[in-house]
Amino acid sequence: MSHPHVEMQIDLSLDGELAEDETALLEAHLAECAACRRFREARLALRSAIVTAMPRLEVPDRLRARVRADLRTSGRRMPVWRQAALAATLVLVASASALGGWRVGTAHMASTVLADEVLASHVRSLMPGHLSDVTSTDQHTVKPWFDGRLDFSPPVTDFSGRGYPLLGGRLDYVGGRPVAALVYGRRKHVINVFVWPAEKAKSLSAPTTRQGYRVLHWQTPEYSYWVASDLGLSELTDFVRLLQLGDSAAAAPNP
Amino acid sequence: MEPSELERFEAVVLPHLSAAYGLARHLTRDDADAEDVVQESLLRAMKYFGGFRGTGATEGRAWVLAIVRNMSHTWRSRHGSKRTTTIQFDETVHSEAAGGEHPGAMLEREATRTALEQAIDALSPDLREVIVLREVEGLSYKEIGDVVGVPVGTVMSRLSRARGRLQRALTEADQGRRQ
Repeated sequence: MSHPHVEMQIDLSLDGELAEDETALLEAHLAECAACRRFREARLALRSAIVTAMPRLEVPDRLRARVRADLRTSGRRMPVWRQAALAATLVLVASASALGGWRVGTAHMASTVLADEVLASHVRSLMPGHLSDVTSTDQHTVKPWFDGRLDFSPPVTDFSGRGYPLLGGRLDYVGGRPVAALVYGRRKHVINVFVWPAEKAKSLSAPTTRQGYRVLHWQTPEYSYWVASDLGLSELTDFVRLLQLGDSAAAAPNP
Repeated sequence: MEPSELERFEAVVLPHLSAAYGLARHLTRDDADAEDVVQESLLRAMKYFGGFRGTGATEGRAWVLAIVRNMSHTWRSRHGSKRTTTIQFDETVHSEAAGGEHPGAMLEREATRTALEQAIDALSPDLREVIVLREVEGLSYKEIGDVVGVPVGTVMSRLSRARGRLQRALTEADQGRRQ
């Protein structure tokens, strides 16, 4: 007679998936049961027949070469958004003083790298589910959320009254450190504001406006600010002025 | 991809190129389709590699085979099965079999082989893929479950059903010859 349960165990054992104690029990049964022994023999024959019928294939050289070529290209090729950003013929490099004036200047490497990172974070944040860790239009909910998550408390102001509602915030990682990312909306546009304590070493001065996305940067005595959005420059400038006013208002009580 | 990611990709994914090709070949049953499927899959793997955190070649295998497996099924549903004949003449295997063997024994092996090939071809994709992953590529049940996206119990029952059918085909071929 056949033993379906044992047959399953025989398959498991030949596949190397049977526990040791069960293997011992199986062997004991096989010693007694000729039908199950025949089943195992048949399975062994089947296995070798399958391997003969379906030999393990080697990847053809030309396919290997095709994949290698793709890989080389991918090593060279930047993500699409960066291509778009760099394809910009107009790279406006401007710097805002704390008073909000724009000055056109030249970029230097370190801040170009940061601008890339900011842009990358901005684009990533637009993917579903990545925009905010804390979703609230209330600055008194968003600001405390960062406590204990960062070693600084970023200034958070809602500008709903001016048409730039606060949408939330999240932790992000830019320039090799955790930063606060504040998310604002303007109609269908998203504005990301990245804030972290100002570095004393150097004053960055290379905000860039790039095709599709604008990345703006300024620094107050306390904080380094980066803003990324696809919003038009005039509105974004408007928004940046609000942020700067908000920041100086927050800083006002502490002379 | 950044250079460090490129390096990780080479260490984690590229060792499984033959396994990827083998799986695609057995699922599409066409050499050219299999090559296209693998190339597309690898492009996809490069694109989504950032989201895969594995660093070891073992982890990479199930990950990349899952992509190849899904791509093969997409390919089949998009292009249909172009192939009408069974597996093509394979020179290496055939010449090996001819090595000093008794012509009768050789014919017998050929007959068995053909019967089994037809039985494998006749398996539904669900069953064929678990057989390929287990018998040809040697994946564990857990890995097969990861590739196919089903629980280990389902892997076991599919393997069992697939083997049952192949076993019957083999037995029938043997009996046919003895008559």
